[in-house]
Amino acid sequence: MDMLAQALIQGFLIGGTYGLVALGLGLIYSVSNIVSFAHGDFMSLAMYLSVSLFAAFAMDPYVSVFITFPVLALVGWGLYYFILRPVIGSNSLMIIQLTLGLTFLLQNGLLMVYGGQMLRVPSMVESKLFLMGDTVMRWPLLIAFIASLALSALLYLMLTRTDFGRQIRAVNQNPKAAALMGVNVTQVRTLVFALGIALLAVAGSLLLPGATLQPGMGLRYTVITLLILVLGGMSNFIGILLGGYIIGLSEAVGTTFLSGVSGMILPYALFIVIMLFRPAGLLGSR
Amino acid sequence: MIEIESLVAGYGQVPVLHDVSLKVAQGELVGLLGANNAGKSTLINCLSGTVRPRQGRIRFKGEDITNLAPHKIVDLGMIQVPEGRLVFPQMSIRDNLMLGGISARARKQRRQRLEQVLETFPRLQERLDQHAGTLSGGEQQMLAIGRGMMAGAEVLMLDEPSLGLSPLFVQYIFETIAKMHRMGLTILLVEQNSSLTFRHASRCYVLEQGRVAIDGPTEVVRNHPATRKAYLGM
Repeated sequence: MDMLAQALIQGFLIGGTYGLVALGLGLIYSVSNIVSFAHGDFMSLAMYLSVSLFAAFAMDPYVSVFITFPVLALVGWGLYYFILRPVIGSNSLMIIQLTLGLTFLLQNGLLMVYGGQMLRVPSMVESKLFLMGDTVMRWPLLIAFIASLALSALLYLMLTRTDFGRQIRAVNQNPKAAALMGVNVTQVRTLVFALGIALLAVAGSLLLPGATLQPGMGLRYTVITLLILVLGGMSNFIGILLGGYIIGLSEAVGTTFLSGVSGMILPYALFIVIMLFRPAGLLGSR
Repeated sequence: MIEIESLVAGYGQVPVLHDVSLKVAQGELVGLLGANNAGKSTLINCLSGTVRPRQGRIRFKGEDITNLAPHKIVDLGMIQVPEGRLVFPQMSIRDNLMLGGISARARKQRRQRLEQVLETFPRLQERLDQHAGTLSGGEQQMLAIGRGMMAGAEVLMLDEPSLGLSPLFVQYIFETIAKMHRMGLTILLVEQNSSLTFRHASRCYVLEQGRVAIDGPTEVVRNHPATRKAYLGM
């Protein structure tokens, strides 16, 4: 029973951060219809940047995020403006191929710079524990959960209460009508890419304490993100957050109670079952 | 106010407009008539910047705006109310209207203009927090025109405002258009409904297969044998 409670709490906490990662891609998809297969690799990039910042300045990941965030925002801006914007509207296979190409570029780039060995970034709270009833939890998980929840709430407020949020929703619903209202569609898309990729810097720093890094790990995060995105109906804000919790919980329960690879399969099996009954996502597409 | 010189435009390899020239003076209500696929929407999409002309010039208040981005054209005060309304169905009426006033020039007076729009269209006031997708066609047309008013339009380009509306709504919408014109707004009215256009416009252009076939004061265009044959069945 303790193990189940432990797994459920851990899965719930990590699910919040998974949701945040998927929200970034959900925002990007909502304004551009682009699904980036390199999304997880940009999080790897942010995490490895934290490795460098720790190596150079002994910077904790919770501090280095203030540097990785603007760097990743710049990367997201450049990604859309220089690489994806020229091909937007062309065959979707071309865009898929392009982002897959970026995956290999990023993974091999990280391999060349950092080597293939596992790396870690120590954090001041990495080994700190706390008790929830009879369950022992790690502080980094709670911090990640609270920070992800707070950021998700801020994103929601931004989308529903600000002019920038209205512009994002307008571009999502009808880019031509948005342009006729005076919305600079290219600027909105570029800023959303910058924001969606920059959020990975935050998620990366939240997942770093206690994690081991290797250059190919981005693929796993991409797959998790895509599962959550599809579960969430691609651009449904609440659906994506809910999808994050479902994948986080199923992953934690699977790896706790099922041995080896079978444990890792649980989120995918659950995904297939949910899709059979809810093909448009948990809450539909909006 | 608007001067179009020898405009040529199309989509991909398909030419739509051939050597079209047109003028709209400040405070005028000019009608643009034509059958389906005559090029009316392409013409106002060129004016709005969503279709790039291949040749020709468009000037607004003497400034060359050919190939200017749509948001910059909105910023100058040239606003299109598109065919089919194109409201944002999953956004509230309030958010749709607020978006209408998103441009830099309109943002300062948004609150004031919102009150004016709601005075003009009281039905929108009652449904401010309702999704625009739940409105009837006529109410959506009010919202689309309201968004144009929010933008602080100097020129309003209305693309088929009567399309798909009941006669009562058509009458109401055209009374509102006439009222806005009386208040000094310059209007380019794109319509298939010739009798409505003749009733309100001071001058008209008739497009046929992407070319200006007839133009002049409304009376001249109305009595032109080709117009009578094409639109009035005489």
